[in-house]
Amino acid sequence: MASVRPESEAFESLFRAEYARVAGIANRVLADPHEAEDVAQDVFIDFHRLHSASAQYAPAWLHRAAAHAALNRLRGARRRRRREISQAAEEGERTMDPQKQLEVNEDRRLVRQALGRLAPKPAAVLVLRASGLSYAEVAEALGVGVGQVGTLLRRAEAALRKEVTRGTSS
Amino acid sequence: MAHLAEGTLRRMVDDPDARAASDARHLDDCAECKERFEAVAGDARSITSLLAVPEARFDVGRAFERVRTAPAAQPRFGFRLPVLPPTSRPMKLVLAAAVAAIALLAVALAGNYNLFYSPTTVTPVPVTVADMQSLSDLSAYGDITWTSQPQLQIVSGAAEAKSVSGLEPPVVGTLPAGVSSTVTYAAMPQAVAVFTFSAQKAAAAAAATGKPLPRLPSGMDGATLTVTVGPAVGEIFGNIKQGSSGDLSQANLPQLVIGKSTAPTATSTRVTVKQLESYLLSLPGVSPQLAGAIKAISDPSTTLPIPVPVQFASSSTVHVQGVSGIALGDNTGVGSAVIWVKHGVVYLVAGTIKQSDAIGIANNLT
Repeated sequence: MASVRPESEAFESLFRAEYARVAGIANRVLADPHEAEDVAQDVFIDFHRLHSASAQYAPAWLHRAAAHAALNRLRGARRRRRREISQAAEEGERTMDPQKQLEVNEDRRLVRQALGRLAPKPAAVLVLRASGLSYAEVAEALGVGVGQVGTLLRRAEAALRKEVTRGTSS
Repeated sequence: MAHLAEGTLRRMVDDPDARAASDARHLDDCAECKERFEAVAGDARSITSLLAVPEARFDVGRAFERVRTAPAAQPRFGFRLPVLPPTSRPMKLVLAAAVAAIALLAVALAGNYNLFYSPTTVTPVPVTVADMQSLSDLSAYGDITWTSQPQLQIVSGAAEAKSVSGLEPPVVGTLPAGVSSTVTYAAMPQAVAVFTFSAQKAAAAAAATGKPLPRLPSGMDGATLTVTVGPAVGEIFGNIKQGSSGDLSQANLPQLVIGKSTAPTATSTRVTVKQLESYLLSLPGVSPQLAGAIKAISDPSTTLPIPVPVQFASSSTVHVQGVSGIALGDNTGVGSAVIWVKHGVVYLVAGTIKQSDAIGIANNLT
């Protein structure tokens, strides 16, 4: 096809522009950079297969897909999380006091469990916003009006707090 | 003035400058809202710290190399559809996408359980999500090699669709009110998959899942099943490529999909239709309902089973283009589809339209 070359160039520049953010969203969910990169790469491959890289909706599609794919993985792999999170934490925080590090790891595990129990939309709102997306970007990724983001975020934060409390008291 | 909404307060936490002057004045003067603002801000801070992760550095160049060299596609059913990523959209959109996806998947899926077969008619078969998953796990029972990969491509127009697929894209008579006339063409050249059954892989798969393995018919080990899918063309109506600001959900979902594909064919070595059929239907996870429905097909070599998700859609037999076809969905406009086979070609009309409109489009297709 005549359009193959420009499409591959468009894809490469989309990849370079968005990869760190897409992987960052997945890492926010999984707290594991290696697994986050697996998710990010799957997301890009899925995108590339059927969408034009020059489509206006490309970044929003990637952000949403990264959040949902990572959340799905989190839910599916909850059993493995303790080990993986502690490994990831070791790589990132070698300088921390060992006792403190244990506490941080435990908190991180509980928060991920709680996140996995939230409905997909609130979980995605939290993750996207925590990953540094603007209100407008979060709105576009989730297909909602920008005016709704504050409300969704507020509800999601309340829901996550509740889940975390439930997780620690049970 | 009424108290400030929670969402407004939440946004003020992130962006103090974004507040409207009247809201800012209210916050300054209202003790109750001030207190709520502090609570909202406190929650926001604690969630931010809960979700904190050590900063990660990603090697974009290396990642791009990995993606570039990744195997192009490992489609389980033959090809993927431009449906949506998992999302918590309203049920109706999910349903419509599911109906369209299932209907198109039928072409490839059907090849998995019929042999020596070139369909001349269609029949509905109720399937569950578990059925789809267990049939998609078929790859655990052997090796799939694509002698030509299914590559569904978005193309520039009808002419390119024809040159890619060799099929004349169907022409729609009139569109129902509310359906965008913006059309995106997709095309797929013929794809051929060869599945080789492996007793060793099947045993390993069964051991891994802990489920009892159905006994392989004699001769099954090493038997091959060759499935030919397509070529196919599709027309997707709706502004799927335009992310209008803030309303991506509408922009992304096709309102109407029209598909035309050469009917799939399948041939096998070593095993018979009957043996393969009963083996596949005995796989763990395939519901007795699905097994019963498939077995009830009197002539599997000429019938294309159309999977209908049991919990989602009802199906009925309709008369289109002088042949009998299947209609899914109803007249609510939530989603409907019509599928029929004529002269060795499978046609599909599906969308977020009324069933009567879908049948009307089907009959006026040229």
